[in-house]
Amino acid sequence: MTGAVAVLAAVGLAAYPAAQDIRLQPLSLALAVVGVFVLALGVLARWPAAIGFGLVSLGGTYAVLFAAEGSRLDRLAPGYAAGLLLVAELAFWSIESRVPAWSDPELAIWRLARLGLACAGAAVLGAVVIADSAAATGGGGLLMETLGVVAAIGAIALVAVLARRHALE
Amino acid sequence: MKRAATGKLRVYLVLAGLGLLAALALGRPELAALAAPFAVFVAIGLAVGRPVEVKAAAELDYERQLEGRLVTVLLEISATEPVERLELLLDLGESLETEAPNPILIRLGRGERRELEFPVRCARWGTYEVGNVVWRARDGFGLLVSEGRTTGGHRLKVYPHGENVQRLLRPLETQAFAGNQVARSRGEGIEFADLRPFVSGDRVRRVNWRATARRGEPWVNETHPERNSDVVLFLDTFAEARRDDLGTLDLSVRAAASLAALYLREKDRVGLVSFGGVLNWLTATSGTTQLYRIVDSLLDAEIALSYAWKDLDVIPPRTLPPRALVVALSPLLDERAVGALIDLRARGFDLAVIELSPYPFVPEGESETEQLAYRLWRLRRDALRTRYASLGVPIVEWREGVPMEAVVEEVRAFRRHARVLRA
Repeated sequence: MTGAVAVLAAVGLAAYPAAQDIRLQPLSLALAVVGVFVLALGVLARWPAAIGFGLVSLGGTYAVLFAAEGSRLDRLAPGYAAGLLLVAELAFWSIESRVPAWSDPELAIWRLARLGLACAGAAVLGAVVIADSAAATGGGGLLMETLGVVAAIGAIALVAVLARRHALE
Repeated sequence: MKRAATGKLRVYLVLAGLGLLAALALGRPELAALAAPFAVFVAIGLAVGRPVEVKAAAELDYERQLEGRLVTVLLEISATEPVERLELLLDLGESLETEAPNPILIRLGRGERRELEFPVRCARWGTYEVGNVVWRARDGFGLLVSEGRTTGGHRLKVYPHGENVQRLLRPLETQAFAGNQVARSRGEGIEFADLRPFVSGDRVRRVNWRATARRGEPWVNETHPERNSDVVLFLDTFAEARRDDLGTLDLSVRAAASLAALYLREKDRVGLVSFGGVLNWLTATSGTTQLYRIVDSLLDAEIALSYAWKDLDVIPPRTLPPRALVVALSPLLDERAVGALIDLRARGFDLAVIELSPYPFVPEGESETEQLAYRLWRLRRDALRTRYASLGVPIVEWREGVPMEAVVEEVRAFRRHARVLRA
């Protein structure tokens, strides 16, 4: 059930950039098809790496849109971010081990509520990022760009270190 | 306890990293907007995730139960930290089954103790440790998973269900102690045996006045004394034929438990020899305690593969008392057991063999060669049976579904018409 909804949501996500009348539409379409197919394969085979590859492909489909469209800011990015998180969460939910929750029937409802909250949070966060970048006037120069790169790499490294520490405990 | 990152955590990290780097490389904030939720999701998930330890205390309503009956296992689950998704598997092994969902998924709040009830069906006899729980706790974000196993379960003894037997096999000779069996010898007892002339020392109450009046001289009644007997249950554990959840060892354990209970009820002394890869024995004694000893010993019976040659010399002498009836329960699949039984007979033991038929467990085969081999195997077994019969050993086949009573009656019929040979 969750796997089917994840694949359907992925189709919806992939359709948005692939359906745009852009210069690199064949590439976008190809990435969309590959993304949905690999995601479905990952869900069926219970293979996290395939799900990850499918999500990257869906993100790539969206990235192609900017390569073709130039500098116009996409106001639907927060919605796409929320959708991508929804697809990812549902897909990983579907490959979890099947355990009957007979003693806690409210567990599924509780989890759906958390999922909705996470997606809403993702949309808000995406909106903040977009609004912040829209408010920025002009380029920040070499210093700001360097800072941005360092901050991005630092953020990823921090999260990776946290993950490694938890995994070793 | 083992803690590990899930595949989801790795994928989210890769997505966040790729998204942020692509946003920097392409200069597109939309890609940062896509990646940021994944990065924040992972960061929050790791920040709030704590190592968790789950404890499970188990209680059983019965620690001894009969095969096929139910035992209720009550589990009290608690955890050091709140757990969003806790998967629990009550480790029951193959021979116990529960009707409740197992594994199950629950949620534990802070300081919460959850009681779970598992009705467990004891499908097969044996000794089991019940109450050990294998658990897997996932955090609310599904990024980290902790796994562990709780120990300290209770020992559950599942006794084989009894076979219905009314009349028992009687040994040819009895022992010296009082019991319920009418001895062949003559002495003080109730059962009338014969008449004989009065001799000095005979008690007046034993005078048969009718016979005395008819013959004109005093005659007395002779009686058979009531004595007990020694019975040794000889269990062949060298090999068994098995299919799915039933095998010849199961049949022999059921038969042995039933026979032991009945003989002990008749005040006989019962011993046990489990003759196989591992040798177990109990010297013959009477009483309820002995019944528990025998049944507990039967629960430990298992087929242990061994290539070592074993004969009767490995059995301690007191285990096979003289004038004892030896009831052998064997599928007659191993040469060592077959040889040991013939050796028992040669040593003058009163022997009866209950053959636990391996035929229901061995398919005939589909090809012509397989069917030929099957027929040859059956012929060899028939020849072996004839050999036992020619030695004066009653041998009767028993299989699942056939009443034990019929088997015992067949042995009794054989013994009625057989002669005891003495070397």
